[in-house]
Amino acid sequence: MGEALVELEHVGIAFSSGRNIGGGRFWALEDVSLRLDQGDRLGVIGRNGAGKSTLLRVIAGILSPDRGRIRRARVSCQLLALALGFVPHLSGRDNAILSGLLLGLRRREITARLPAIREFSELGAFFEEPIATYSAGMNMRLAFSVAMQAEPDVLLIDEVLSVGDAAFQEKSRAAMRERTGEGRTIVLVSHDEEQIRDRCNRVVWIEHGRSVLEGSRDEVFAAYHRHSAMEAPR
Amino acid sequence: MRLHLVELILFNTYAELRAEAARSYLGLVWWVLEPAMMMGAFWLVFDVILHTGGPDYVPFLLIGITVWQWMKSCITHGGYAIWGNLGMVRQVPLPPLVFPLVAMLSDTVKFAFIFALLLVILWSMGYPPNAAYWGLVPLFASVFLAGAGAGFIVAALVPLVPDLRFVIEQVLTVVMFLSGVVFPLTQVPDRLRWMMDFNPVAVVMADARGILMHAQLPNWVGLYKVALISISACIAGVLFVRHLAPRFPKLAS
Repeated sequence: MGEALVELEHVGIAFSSGRNIGGGRFWALEDVSLRLDQGDRLGVIGRNGAGKSTLLRVIAGILSPDRGRIRRARVSCQLLALALGFVPHLSGRDNAILSGLLLGLRRREITARLPAIREFSELGAFFEEPIATYSAGMNMRLAFSVAMQAEPDVLLIDEVLSVGDAAFQEKSRAAMRERTGEGRTIVLVSHDEEQIRDRCNRVVWIEHGRSVLEGSRDEVFAAYHRHSAMEAPR
Repeated sequence: MRLHLVELILFNTYAELRAEAARSYLGLVWWVLEPAMMMGAFWLVFDVILHTGGPDYVPFLLIGITVWQWMKSCITHGGYAIWGNLGMVRQVPLPPLVFPLVAMLSDTVKFAFIFALLLVILWSMGYPPNAAYWGLVPLFASVFLAGAGAGFIVAALVPLVPDLRFVIEQVLTVVMFLSGVVFPLTQVPDRLRWMMDFNPVAVVMADARGILMHAQLPNWVGLYKVALISISACIAGVLFVRHLAPRFPKLAS
């Protein structure tokens, strides 16, 4: 087995539980181990509060472990974030540049993609207007169009998104499929089993901040369902 | 990576200035109106009512307030920048120093506008351009470094203890009154005068007025000490922020 893109060994993450004097810490992740190789499409499953989103932020390099260790090859890992850094009083164009820079793109890259963002977002002349004048739908269309420009080595997704009206939803779903298809390396958190089955070849199951099982999609889902059936009230 | 950060800091600075101008009814006018109102208040109290100003009090006050407001805004806006951007810190793996730097740069751009206006006012009052103006370059570099050094240290601490904001405002008010910003330090009793020699703000205030009003080059020894203290504070602040950086995204909202 070659070098992993990302490897976590018994990682634990503790958050501050409050700002006041004597505020303690709680462990959002207790003990998580996983391995991500080139071309892996890894799904993360588990119940609410299991630590799935925290895990994504560890892989993205936002959170550093309080215990255990993480090894990352020289690759970019980017969390898919909508409306990152958006400022209401700036135009769609300026917000696209700002958000693109925050997503890790160089200025010349984002400038070259502005026509594509404008076209994909279907904003027309509104692209030059402050986003404070946009409807919620227009805002999301711009946010999604910008987010789709980031092309990291590893794309991290917290729930697959489709935004806007029916036509734009279909367009955004197609863009997401293109970003998460075979050959891409992704980590996808979702409560939707169909989405994970559809897009992922491997799955890790997180329970109470611990990685319970990591393996092939069918193997992990089978174990997860057996566990859920045993836990269900009779 | 470094070039990307430079682009991000510069565009973010532009975005901040643009958004600030768009947020209020009078927009850019406030960049000048706000310090002008503060100057008016001090002029009213110290010159008109208390008669403690003296003949050159108006230019003395204008220079003092302009330079002080720049330094103070670097400390407060830069100091609160990481705390104010914790939402972003939780979403993007950026070096947290980006946020105070953006705040300090946008305050520096605003200072440039106000200072240009100050020069015009001084010239119209009979203090023309002079050969000592080049001394403003090392002087302003020292002022920025002093503001940035203090701002970085505050920026590291405020996310952990936001209550410090209330203390810092009061401390800065005391520093302003002890630094010859609004009244000459000649009015300070002799037995307390020694303290002023160790006050970097007092040194830069005296130097700025020396250049702009009396065509005198800065007191180089004093300015050298200020630069040394400021660079030390900057290094300490940067190390402090970098040391605490892993804790910021884990702080409670």
